[in-house]
Amino acid sequence: MSAMADQRSGAVVEQLRERIRQLQAAPRSYLATLRTGVEEVDALLPSGGFPLGQAVELCGEAASGRTSLALRAVAAAHREHRLCAWVDGPKELYPPAAAAMGVDLSRLLIIRPKEPSQLAWTAVQLARSGAFACVVLDLNQGLAAGASGGRSSGVRLSLAEGKKLADAAFRGGSLLLLLSSPSAPADGVTRMRTESLGPEGLSVEVVRSRQGGLGTRAELPWSSLYPALGPEGEESVLLAGELPTGKELVPDFYRGRSWEQRNGCGILGQRPGRDAGMPSMGSVLKTGTAPR
Amino acid sequence: MRLGYLHFSRFPAQRKVIEVPALAGKPFVLEEEVRSARRVAFASTSALKAGVRPGMTLTAATALEPSLQHFPYKTEDELRALASLGEALMCVAPGFQLSAPEGMWFDASAAHLFGGEEGLCLRALEVCSGHGYRGRAVVASEPFTASALARHGTRPVLVVPEGGSARALAPLPLVALEGREREAFAALGLGTLGEVAALPAGAVAARGGAAGLRAHTLCSGGDDTPFVAAVLEEVLEERMTLDWPAESFEPLQFALKTLLDRLCARLAGRRRAAVRLKFLLRLDPSGQVELPLTLARPTARAKLLLDLARHQLSDLRVENPVAGISVRVEEHNEDRGQQLALGDTPEGDAALEVVLSRLVTTLGEESLFSASLEAVHRPEQAYAAQAFRPPASTRGMAGELLPDEEVEVPVEEALKERPSRLLEQPATLDAEVTETGELLAAWLLGKRRRVMAMAGPERLGGEWWAKEPYSRDYYRVHFEGMGPAWVFRDARDGRFYLQGLFD
Repeated sequence: MSAMADQRSGAVVEQLRERIRQLQAAPRSYLATLRTGVEEVDALLPSGGFPLGQAVELCGEAASGRTSLALRAVAAAHREHRLCAWVDGPKELYPPAAAAMGVDLSRLLIIRPKEPSQLAWTAVQLARSGAFACVVLDLNQGLAAGASGGRSSGVRLSLAEGKKLADAAFRGGSLLLLLSSPSAPADGVTRMRTESLGPEGLSVEVVRSRQGGLGTRAELPWSSLYPALGPEGEESVLLAGELPTGKELVPDFYRGRSWEQRNGCGILGQRPGRDAGMPSMGSVLKTGTAPR
Repeated sequence: MRLGYLHFSRFPAQRKVIEVPALAGKPFVLEEEVRSARRVAFASTSALKAGVRPGMTLTAATALEPSLQHFPYKTEDELRALASLGEALMCVAPGFQLSAPEGMWFDASAAHLFGGEEGLCLRALEVCSGHGYRGRAVVASEPFTASALARHGTRPVLVVPEGGSARALAPLPLVALEGREREAFAALGLGTLGEVAALPAGAVAARGGAAGLRAHTLCSGGDDTPFVAAVLEEVLEERMTLDWPAESFEPLQFALKTLLDRLCARLAGRRRAAVRLKFLLRLDPSGQVELPLTLARPTARAKLLLDLARHQLSDLRVENPVAGISVRVEEHNEDRGQQLALGDTPEGDAALEVVLSRLVTTLGEESLFSASLEAVHRPEQAYAAQAFRPPASTRGMAGELLPDEEVEVPVEEALKERPSRLLEQPATLDAEVTETGELLAAWLLGKRRRVMAMAGPERLGGEWWAKEPYSRDYYRVHFEGMGPAWVFRDARDGRFYLQGLFD
């Protein structure tokens, strides 16, 4: 009986030894770059992705794809179970959309300083600590001012702040992504310019780089950043003349709340939440702008 | 029942050196007031070498050793320190009973987990050594045997077998016996406990009464005193009153170190880790300052907590000097320890805690958060802020090579159609619309922008039961020179609002 037990434990020990040998022989993986997962963008960068230990600037107008590119880099770090931080100057980051892009919200620290002057200091502290694989510093001013007609320029970093940020990224081994606008560019070692090309898509261009690839440019459709906005049929595109008018404008719960309208849709016929999938702007957009 | 006894020679002096490391090797005493005279309660080794003895007046002690430093002896503080050490020992013993000021009994019933009673003693001494205390440990069947051998014996670890107490006690000097009986036996010319035990019990009872018989029984290795385990305090709090009000951060540091050492010892003994702490500074003559400290990763490491406390308190400006300080663990959870691989250091988490503490101090706690999704359809309320507590990373060799075990939580499909930037409150769009309600253009970011294309509507509505129901038709609109914007027409007023950008 004891001989059998000895044999069995010996076999287990041998298996474990073999497993340890395998583990020791296998190469260890080290995170050196953060890929966005968008092939066209990754191909622009010499290291095949955003390099860790550097400050990279994503410069562009509002709605030009900067935030989603940064979110994709964050998601890449989260896949390796690393922590990331987002210094949200304009207080506009929408976490549900980030989660949909693969960001692990429990590993993303969001910081919203009250004063714009605290943005750079916060990013320096985070990057220098080495505890975060990726630190995103959003220097834009925010849409609220822009929507009402004003200019939305953003926070302009001083030369010293730019140097401090680059130094902090280098010392902490973190990727520091600066989201800026063309009217207030930051001082990233690598600068990528993003530009909206209208409904057709967007372009990404390397405008500053010490590692080559300067001037390279890629054009990509919006669906590569937001797959849910992927190409669909022509009928999904709604032109201005087809907007619902008149009675259709009035949602159901402002109309008569009769029992007939209930029809299995809940009390008083009201249907809370999202009714149906939103049609996407389709491939038809690639053919040209919509007629006015 | 088998009991262990831990004796820490001159425990208050040892504690003082742990508190103020600069005192190591220097002559100092702890003095107390006895009948209006300040007398030495405990002395350091170098003070003893100079001839200073407990019970001596402070004046006499200073005359013997002019460089003698003296500190007040506070019984309550010593008791708390001893109790916290007892709680730290709960990882090796299920219960302890204090024997102030220099020792404690502990339950030795878990000896089999440490390879026997000697192993248990060694482990207990190791735990004490981890907190900076040196001592001796003895395991026996009777409380008196264990304590007498630990106090007056010479071996650091001793295990007295069942029934061997009388033999083990025999060579001990009569000093080991406490009370008035000792003097009576000394008057008879007896020198050791063995000689007392050799006396006939009847004769001792006849001359010494019940007390004499009890002393005789103790010396013969019999003691029926029950072991009463200390009751643990529910609230994990440590407080200290400073000797004099502190006007700078320097004296506070020593107090903080002492308090956090004790608190962490108590946490470690209970296998708990602090999640949220509160520092309370009592000001002189009135007022108090409260400082919360929330940890991203729960910990019971005193050094890390002290670093964080330093960050919190070093730049603090208070209007009055600080008279006292207390630290309280507001929230704690199970301490699962930290799994490190070869080459890993625990500094990674320390760096995270330090930077978070620095940011909280400067920006305020409300500025830092991590988001969690909420089952709410109104877009601006679809997430909530919560304290940043990332899951522990499983790094290291095995962590990198083994397949991922984390289960991916599926994200709701609707969220994939949400913009990455969202305004906290929808902004009214300065829009140009036709008579039929058609959106033609809008003033956005300082420019008039024509609508190039739009997709929608996606109707979101609800909360009809609340004060402010909503019903919105959402469109993705391509304005001229911009990427897609998320615009809705509100059913209440028919106006267009900008809510987000697909940036």
